[in-house]
Amino acid sequence: MRFFHDTHIQFMKYRWHWIAISTALNLVALGLIFFGPGFKYGVDFAGGTQLTVKFKSEPDLARIRTSLENLKLGAVTIQRFDEPERHELLIRLQNPGQEGDFSARMMTALDREFNAQTASMRLNLQGVDAVRDGLAQADPDSVGGTFDNRRAHYEPMASAILNFRKEKGILNGPADLDGVKELSSNAKRYLADNARFGNFSILAADNVGPAVGKDLRKKASYAVGFSLLGMLVYIWLRFQFQYGVGAIVALFHDTLIALGVLSLTGREIDIPTIAALLTLVGYSVNDTVIIFDRIRERVKLDRGKPLVEVMNSAINQTLSRTVITSGLTELVVIALFLFGGGVINTFAFVLMFGIVVGTYSSVFIASPIALGVSNFLEKRKHAHRRR
Amino acid sequence: MQRKLMWRWVLIGVVTAAAIFFMWPADKKIHLGLDLRGGIHLVLQVNTQDAVRAEVDDAMERVRGDLSEKGFAPALLQRLSAGDGFELRPAPNTPAKTLDKVIDDRLLEFKVDRGVGLTATLRPEVTRAIRDMAVRQGLETIRNRIDQFGVAEPLIQRQGIEGDRIVVQLPGVDDPARVKDLIRATAFLEIKPVVTVAPTQEALLASSGGKLPEDSEIVSGDVEDLEGRITGREYYLLKKASVVTGRDLRTARRSQDTYGQPAVSFTLNPDGATKFSAYTGAHIGDRMAIVLDNKVRSAPVIRGHISDSGIIEGNFTVQGAEDLALVLRAGALPASITYLEERTVGPSLGRDSVIRGLRAGLVGLILVVVFMLFYYKGAGINADVALILNAVLLLGAIGVFKATLTLPGIAGIILTIGMAVDSNVLIFERIREELRLGKTVRNAVDLGFQRALSAIIDSNLTTIISALFLFQFGTGPIKGFAVTLTIGLTISMFTAVFVSRSIFEVLLSRRAKLTTLSI
Repeated sequence: MRFFHDTHIQFMKYRWHWIAISTALNLVALGLIFFGPGFKYGVDFAGGTQLTVKFKSEPDLARIRTSLENLKLGAVTIQRFDEPERHELLIRLQNPGQEGDFSARMMTALDREFNAQTASMRLNLQGVDAVRDGLAQADPDSVGGTFDNRRAHYEPMASAILNFRKEKGILNGPADLDGVKELSSNAKRYLADNARFGNFSILAADNVGPAVGKDLRKKASYAVGFSLLGMLVYIWLRFQFQYGVGAIVALFHDTLIALGVLSLTGREIDIPTIAALLTLVGYSVNDTVIIFDRIRERVKLDRGKPLVEVMNSAINQTLSRTVITSGLTELVVIALFLFGGGVINTFAFVLMFGIVVGTYSSVFIASPIALGVSNFLEKRKHAHRRR
Repeated sequence: MQRKLMWRWVLIGVVTAAAIFFMWPADKKIHLGLDLRGGIHLVLQVNTQDAVRAEVDDAMERVRGDLSEKGFAPALLQRLSAGDGFELRPAPNTPAKTLDKVIDDRLLEFKVDRGVGLTATLRPEVTRAIRDMAVRQGLETIRNRIDQFGVAEPLIQRQGIEGDRIVVQLPGVDDPARVKDLIRATAFLEIKPVVTVAPTQEALLASSGGKLPEDSEIVSGDVEDLEGRITGREYYLLKKASVVTGRDLRTARRSQDTYGQPAVSFTLNPDGATKFSAYTGAHIGDRMAIVLDNKVRSAPVIRGHISDSGIIEGNFTVQGAEDLALVLRAGALPASITYLEERTVGPSLGRDSVIRGLRAGLVGLILVVVFMLFYYKGAGINADVALILNAVLLLGAIGVFKATLTLPGIAGIILTIGMAVDSNVLIFERIREELRLGKTVRNAVDLGFQRALSAIIDSNLTTIISALFLFQFGTGPIKGFAVTLTIGLTISMFTAVFVSRSIFEVLLSRRAKLTTLSI
């Protein structure tokens, strides 16, 4: 089986069209970034406190908002995390601008709002030790003896409950306790009557203060800056000047469009997003380099042929590879996007777009630019000679 | 040729066996990051300013004591707003000699400027030493507390340009709020003599003639009813000088008070015991206050001579009493702590991430494997073997280097699957081209590998360059991504070039004159 059998597509013929389309796309991206919605920074860069909360059922967002705004710590934003039927939310307190432990205060506020009934045992919020001690205090199995003795008796039950919660994400109510085999019937009855299940559990909490946020921003910009510089040096060492320019233009083209897509879709820029952008940078150059490698080879073999034709045949000869590799990587990234879960969704999203754009630019942008630069240099050389 | 080929396969066999040895069983050998195991990552700052201020306060008290003793209580003695020094205006008739002596005796670590009065500021090198000491003590104290709390594989490290940050990573902690409180608790215990008690501050001041005596201070405490519920507040006038402090403790543990409620009992070290027994012996019938972090926990009446033990009562849960005993045993923090960064991942989210990451990886792998079989037929098997071997070796490498597998790390592995076949695709496409040009199978395979090599190296290197910078500047989980991507691509050069070639060689050596190649 073969996708592209001995193709002779005139990629270079319409090079001005491609360049025009890309320029337009880049201008749109720039417009989106500077005059449009701009970027939405995630908690890593903007700072603030973010709770990932799983609710039993779809919660009333307005109540979450008011209860947290009453803390007077800053603006509150709420976003869905993952699929809707999981009832998981990212609740963010934006840029409190001060250092401190805000997650605990947010949790207390939510607890007060959504869990009216107070109880010493809160099965969805406490750890093993607290659940065990609660049971040991009440002693539903009438074990008696010292406190430590009772603790030993209830320890396995408590950890079984917590393991169950770990699997489910949240305990929905007394009925869920039936799924915990280790629990004695007395303990089960006691918990059903006395413990509070509550309406939510905390999946994750992130709190990034201004000092750390600043550090992270600095590190991210270093990573991006040095990475681009590294590419430049590498291409400069491996290829002639005109190809370096082509690859770099393609590289900036891809990054800019990816940023534009991020701006347009309003996805948050976080550390994993930066990682995805850098991967994209690597990938895009990789794709371009393979085509250039072939051009380099053909130039030596087909002496005397015009560069346009050499480039055309090089692109055609590598077309199968370009499409297959990009396609396979894209397949894998789509799998990651669809099945990878909420935490790496944006990461996969950036790459999903990036690979398409990166492949396009390697074929349609990098070589035409290299050709343009090459022709320009050639003309200048002639002009010099004539003088 | 045959011999050379055999050695190739021996090498491949050994490498594979080693990889399996280092990755199996995966749940033991592969170290999961906090984001996959669940746990807590904290960056905290030791407010070293506290320790500096305490040093200045100490010096001020000593100066005040010395001068007052001679009958020249200072007219003004106050800390500078910067916190690292104080201003002193002596009583008008203080002889210069007395003042000089105080400066010589008490202010060795200060730079003293004399004018109308005098301004003393801590020497910069002393300030630096105090700050450094505070961080080191803080680190030590936190490590003690974590050790006593019992967390497996904790990471506690000093960090930051000024060195005043501490990173704490605790995997598998299921009650982050409790651990955060435990780490942050200053746990500064003092036992002080009680002068009087009153329901309001004004009443308290009135009892001592409207002015706060110099050697005393006001500290508040909660009022509890018989069932231990807090019903209000009261204020204590206490002597500033402590009878004993947390430093005099030998040990502390959870116990019960006379009503069977949780409490914390403590024993003093010999030094503390001497001071304590002398004091209690002489003050039977008086009250003493047990002050924790500047709050009166209880103020029992001294019934008799106590030698070396005591009990702290007051509204504890069992866990609260246990935690307090723990922090008292581990020692007080020399300065307060602010949390700069906190990242908590609950175990269910971590577990969910692993399951979904693996699922995504598996789907990706199957898609790629099936495509390669479909597109390259016989050679597709070759590529798939190389690909699966790549995954095994990658996990083995993670095991050997004790690298931490994070969620972005899993993403890196999945991405490697896509990128690793690139080398095979490059080679196979090249072989096809050479075959089309009429080369023999032997020739085509040789040329295919040879000519594709420069492209393979170039293309992998570019991605590795960005991954290296990502590793250098990335944090936690992202480092994991950079690591798996780099290792994965490096290994892919081995599997796609060396292993794949070896498989072709076996095919070619089986039949001397192979005329067609399934590719």
